[in-house]
Amino acid sequence: MATDAMKSQVAAKWQEAFQRLNGDSPGISGLMKFSEAWAISVQFLYPWDISSVPVDVDGRPYGEILYIGKDLEAARPAFNVVNRSKKLPALLETFLDDVRKNFYLVENEITQYMARYEEHQSTDEIRGLISRLVEWYRAWAPPPDLGAAVFQSYTLNFQTRLFSALPPSFTGGFKNLCATLLSPPSAEDAIVAVWRDFDILGLIERYETIIASVGYEYIEEYVLRTCTGEWGKPMLDDLRIWMSEKVVPWLLHVYARGATTPDEARTMLQGVGSRFDFHINKTLCDLRTREIFDVIIDYPDSMGALQDLRDCMQRVDQRADLVAALRKQNQKRLLNPGADTKLILQQYVSTIKCLRIVDPPGVLLFKVADPIRRYLRDRPDTIRSIVANLVGDDDDENGESLVDDVDAVPIQQHDFDDYSDPNWEPEPIDAGPEFRANKPSDVISTLVSIYDSKDLFVKELQVLLAQRLLMITKDGSDRVEKERKNIEILKIRFGESALQVCEVMLRDMTDSKRINTHVQAQKSSRLQPTIISRHFWPALESSDLVMPGQFHKLQEDYAHEFNVFKPDKKLKWLPHLGTVQLELELEDRKVQADVPPLEAAFIELFSDKPVWTLDELIVAVGSVNRSAAIKALSTWVDLGVLKEDPENTFNLLEKAEEGQSAAAAARERDTAKLVAPIADIPALSGTQLQQAEQMRVYWKFIEGMLTNLGGLPLDRIQTMLKFAPGYDKTIEQLASFLEAARREGHLVVRDGVWRLNPGHEA
Amino acid sequence: MKVNVKQWHAVAQWRWDTGNAEPEDDGEGDVCGICRVPYEGCCPSCKMPGDDCPLIWGECTHVFHMHCLLKWIGTVASKQQCPMDRKPWVTAERKIGSTPS
Ligand SMILES: [Zn+2]
Ligand SMILES: [Zn+2]
Ligand SMILES: [Zn+2]
Repeated sequence: MATDAMKSQVAAKWQEAFQRLNGDSPGISGLMKFSEAWAISVQFLYPWDISSVPVDVDGRPYGEILYIGKDLEAARPAFNVVNRSKKLPALLETFLDDVRKNFYLVENEITQYMARYEEHQSTDEIRGLISRLVEWYRAWAPPPDLGAAVFQSYTLNFQTRLFSALPPSFTGGFKNLCATLLSPPSAEDAIVAVWRDFDILGLIERYETIIASVGYEYIEEYVLRTCTGEWGKPMLDDLRIWMSEKVVPWLLHVYARGATTPDEARTMLQGVGSRFDFHINKTLCDLRTREIFDVIIDYPDSMGALQDLRDCMQRVDQRADLVAALRKQNQKRLLNPGADTKLILQQYVSTIKCLRIVDPPGVLLFKVADPIRRYLRDRPDTIRSIVANLVGDDDDENGESLVDDVDAVPIQQHDFDDYSDPNWEPEPIDAGPEFRANKPSDVISTLVSIYDSKDLFVKELQVLLAQRLLMITKDGSDRVEKERKNIEILKIRFGESALQVCEVMLRDMTDSKRINTHVQAQKSSRLQPTIISRHFWPALESSDLVMPGQFHKLQEDYAHEFNVFKPDKKLKWLPHLGTVQLELELEDRKVQADVPPLEAAFIELFSDKPVWTLDELIVAVGSVNRSAAIKALSTWVDLGVLKEDPENTFNLLEKAEEGQSAAAAARERDTAKLVAPIADIPALSGTQLQQAEQMRVYWKFIEGMLTNLGGLPLDRIQTMLKFAPGYDKTIEQLASFLEAARREGHLVVRDGVWRLNPGHEA
Repeated sequence: MKVNVKQWHAVAQWRWDTGNAEPEDDGEGDVCGICRVPYEGCCPSCKMPGDDCPLIWGECTHVFHMHCLLKWIGTVASKQQCPMDRKPWVTAERKIGSTPS
């Protein structure tokens, strides 16, 4: 129900609308003018087909302007009328509707260009299309007279239609075009023009991620091409220089368009520059992660790659990936039965060193090392390999040592946090619960810590030392000295007391030499034994071997002389150990050989009887393992001295068999090289040595007494010495003996009380 | 055939000649009744076996590390007796340089 008030309100609205259309003109003449102005305006803006009318650079048609109603001078008053009548929004609506109706013209051209592009894959077509689209856009653009709002609406409308009209294949073409702009063959002006066209059409915003991916791929390609396998020097700095020269100018077009000063451009680039720098780091980090196993193999020649990895990881958190990659590679290439233990150890040591560079706190190492350590622990020869390396195995003079740490330090075995340590730091965030900061202990400590205790190493060290010492055949004081130096160094690591047994072994070596010198002086012998202390050498496999003939005689004679020299001791031979240097005089030849005792025992038997069966031989040397016997006999068969015929029966070949003599002669020459002349034994008077030996026993007695009981007066010493075996000296003789010991610095005397000189090392 | 031995590098262990029959090889051998360490080992205050830590024979036939016995004899409680049989300790005559038969 309309009220009066409402009727008058409607009347007022109508009056207002008429007023707006008619303006100030009398009657309805204004209305007439408006419809004319509307028609002119719509006609001016009408999006025409630029293919039918040539246009200039600003998108204005040449000639025939009037024909298609494109005379701006004529249109301007009409715009004013429309504007004054507040009908601009309606005009815009009509115009945009016309754009919609005619956009098929643009679409047709897009179709033609894209068809050609798809045929030739030439980015020139894309470039051409974009130029053409700019022409369409400009030709249809409303004049500035209509205001910025109208222009923006048009631009938005045009771009929206354009984007929905562009086929999917355009994206690829556009990407390729962008890529050509990174390594441009064309002039800078042309490039500027392309980017300007992109901007006009709104393509940069629309395809920002595509453009960015072009940059990223460009970086990836370059990093892979220049850095793959190049581990010697750090590459990151060079990459950054390259980026600032090659990529940043390109980035300026994309991300700093519209900047008026370099400072402004720099500010605009900050965010994107950081993203691209991140991408360089990530690409390099990924590459090095893939290469890490070989980088470690190449260490230390791969220092550069490791520094890069460390620096990249500051930016890119790829630690977990690195651990995963390295663990996988280790599993595949290292921790398998085909790999030599020594190689695994070498790679492990390199891994330790490399990861310390990449990650000083040691979290990565801990995670990577764990499977290697577990694997090594299960290998039977790991300890031996480590120990062999510790003592510088002779086989290995050319190979690199695992251990190049100059300073030996005691082995560290701490498994708790030492909070009193001023350098203590909390554990890194990705440290697992089992992580124990491997406080930069040295490599040996790390290797030794594979096992729960260092005792195993000491035992193995003992075994290895024993083998090496017993291998010393000739005058080997240099070798013994070398081992002694080794042990001295290892003492620092394993502790003095742990290596006490090694100390005894070394002393046995020098004692053996001394004893041998004495025995040889009494009665020269071809036998030169190493006399060892039981309980201090590793359990040497026992044997029931009994040396026959002249060998038995040699043993007995030597043992006798020893017993004369050391009456309270006797010798127990370990007949299976050692080597014998032999010369066999056969009817037509001599054969020289360095052989183990069992070989020597067998050949000695043949000097009595030329034919033996295997079983007879075994019985004749006590009892030996059958396979050991066969192996020993095959040595002589190989040398052409014995012949097996028939099976398990061995015949001495007094005369070389046809065809064998040449080979045997060759071998003889070879073995002859191994034979060195027996070292001359310095002659020493036996009685001198014996007297000294006797005094030494008393001295030990006195020394023991003074050690255990402290200082003693002369008469008390004399009384105690009566406990000494065979002591028959007078107190005067004792006094002069003690005086002599004092002069040599072994003793001190004060107020008639004798003591050991504490400053004197016996 | 004649076999000429030019040189023989052999290995032997030394043993104290305690006058007792050779015990089985695999065993640890006899031990000192005072410290319970094998004779060919060394007493608790020594590091080197052998001449540095010799044995001492009693006329009672007991054998000890010399250092062990001296330490024992040095105590009042010992009354200078053998710790095994409590007879007065008398060191057996084992003339240095004499060849045992
Ligand atoms: Zn003892
Ligand atoms: Zn001792
Ligand atoms: Zn007794």
